[in-house]
Parts: sequence; structure tokens; C-alpha cells
Amino acid sequence: MSDINAVDLRGFISGAMNEVFDTMISMDIELTDGGVQADVQGERIVGSVGFAGKAVGSVSIQVNDAFARSITAAMLGMELDEIEGDEDVHDVIGELSNMVGGDLKSRLCDGGLDCELSIPSIITGSDFKTEIKGWERHESLVFRHQEDGYVLKNISG
Amino acid sequence: MSLKILAVDDSKTIRMIVKKAFKTYDCEIIEAENGKEGLETASREKPDLIVLDITMPVMAGPEMLAELKKDPALKEIPVIMLTAESGKENVIQILKMGVKDYMVKPFKGEQLIERVTKVVTLESKQKEDEDTSKKYFSTVEDVQVLALPQKLNRPTCLEIERHFKSKVEEMVNSGLKKFILNIAKVGGANVTLIRLIIMVIQTCQKASIGIRIVGTAALSEELKGFSETSEVTIDLSIEDAKGAL
Repeated sequence: MSDINAVDLRGFISGAMNEVFDTMISMDIELTDGGVQADVQGERIVGSVGFAGKAVGSVSIQVNDAFARSITAAMLGMELDEIEGDEDVHDVIGELSNMVGGDLKSRLCDGGLDCELSIPSIITGSDFKTEIKGWERHESLVFRHQEDGYVLKNISG
Repeated sequence: MSLKILAVDDSKTIRMIVKKAFKTYDCEIIEAENGKEGLETASREKPDLIVLDITMPVMAGPEMLAELKKDPALKEIPVIMLTAESGKENVIQILKMGVKDYMVKPFKGEQLIERVTKVVTLESKQKEDEDTSKKYFSTVEDVQVLALPQKLNRPTCLEIERHFKSKVEEMVNSGLKKFILNIAKVGGANVTLIRLIIMVIQTCQKASIGIRIVGTAALSEELKGFSETSEVTIDLSIEDAKGAL
């Protein structure tokens, strides 16, 4: 395998997301058909890691502010009102994107697409949109937790 | 003697998870945010074990490890690497670096402890554990009482849950059949309290132990608002609860 188009990106990311959410947060998430992207709107946080080498691209995880705080509380074993500030939330979302990106990177390397992973970066705000241009391949996956939590996952390569 | 464990990771989240994993063990966890800080801390503190992340800004894990191995005073300190990458090449490289073991993220605290116990001997905080148990549990005649604190957060709840399970075992073995859960001091009803109440009721019922709950009139009203506890009866004093058991 040496072509990003031959990689089962959706399968890899879906598996990694489920494992990360289950292991670190004990939270069930399910892959939806993508029809709820509008729910990741308003004040939101994007955690991204890039990979570069024989495969070049980025993995980003986007959640709204309220769900990001629920994830943070669950991951750090605390109540919502015990979260000290945005720094904790950003760190958790960054770490989640790092874990999912790390898993994808490992699978790409095992498949002959050697690459290196960057450290995570965070974008926050409400008035922005993500446009994907010029990449050979782009996948966008939406995961849902119960009724209120949505995670949008973008992978470009 | 307390073990010193140095956690080196740029993510505060991971350092907190590591810290939490060792909470019940007799360990002192010291932290560093990158390899450079990690080296300085290791030289100063001489830890018994280092839990080291690979990808970090300023100085990455492999660089720090190489520096450790060059230093006669530090080279024998066992290192467990943390990595988000489980790829074959990555694992081979990690093992070649001379680490004792490695842990792929995501991981649970107990998985880390399992790896660590293969490298160093961990001892439980037994004395502290007994003191904590005494803080919440007491026996009034033939009744075991669990009094919840005012602030009930998730870590406290987990701690109480752990002690509660061993108390129930003790009760079954000694033939005690009456239990009172005193929530009167709890500041207000939240999901954590509801879960704890349900867990206590179900565990007692399963062990054929009589259970009553003591609380305030205000808490009783609040609990009625949650579907899980809407049917739960609250006694307003220990005496009332004892009488009903």
C-alpha cells in the first residue's frame, strides 16, 4: 500500500475514535450518517495534528464548547464546575486529537506510508468555517454521543 | 518508603491521568512539561521511575532518554515510554532506546499500574485508606452508617464506592443486615449523588441488607425530580431510619 486513496481512512478513524472515547472517557459514541454537521456550530473547539512524509495531511476533531467541557470533566474525573479554565479543555481536546492522529499515523506507517506527527494545535471561536482545498483526499465523519454531543472529525491527506 | 515517580508529558491531561492512577499507592508524583525540564527534575529529585512521553516541544522524549543514558547518576533509572503511536517501526525504535516498557495511548490508569508493577514495587496507602474509611463509615449499634460529605464530586464518589463495596463484604461476613445512607450533609442533588444512591440501594438489596436513606426535606424534594430516585423514601433522622429497618 503506498497510496492514500487505498487506505481505509474512515474505518481507521472510526475504530480509533471509539477506542479513545471508550478507554479514556468511558463514553460511547456512534458514527452517524453525517447529517448532523450543523450541530457542531456556535462556540467550538478544533484540535488538530498534522502528519508529513510519504503521506501528508491533518486530522482534526471539532466539538462544541459545552460538549468539550463534558469530555474534559469525564477525562479528568471531575465535575463540570471543577474545570479550572479553558486551558484544561484545550489540553484535553488536543490530547484526544493526538491519540486519534497517532493511531492513524501508526496505521499509515505500517502500510508503507511513513510519516511523522506534529504536536496538537487548538483553534477556538464561533465565527469560522473549515474549507478543505487541494488535498488528494478528504473525509469528514460525524460521531454522536447520546442526544447532545457531536464530534466532527476531518481527515485530509 | 514512598516511591518518587517523575511524569514527563507536555499534556497536563496525561500528567493528571498518571497522577490519578497512582493515587492509592504510596508514591510521590513529580511532573515536568518537556524533556529539558524532565532532565533537570530527574537530576535534582533522583526519581525511582520515569514515565516519559515521546512527542513534546522543547525536548522530545527520545532526546531526554539519550541524555539520561549518558549520565552515570541517572542512567539506571527505569523509564516507561508513553506513545500515541503503536506502529511496528515506532515500537521497535522505542525498545531499542533502552526503556523498560512502553504504553500506547489511549490507556487506562490500571493498565499503566500493571506495567509499572513489573518495573518497581508499589505499596498501597493502607493507613490513609483506613483513615478515609473511618471518615465516612461508622457503626451505630447493629447498623452500618455511611455519611456522605457536603461536596460530593466524582473522585470522592469513586473512593466512597470502593470502601462501600468492602464494607458490604464485611457486613455479609459478620452477619450485619442494616445499612443507613446519610445524605443530610450533601449540598444538593446532582447526577453523582443519584448514581451513588442507586448503586448503594442495588448493592444492599443484592446482599439482602436492609437499607434506609436519611436526608433533609429539601433533598427529599430534589430527589423526587430525578426519575431514578423519584420513588426513594427519605427518613428525616437516623432514629427514624433505625426504626424503619
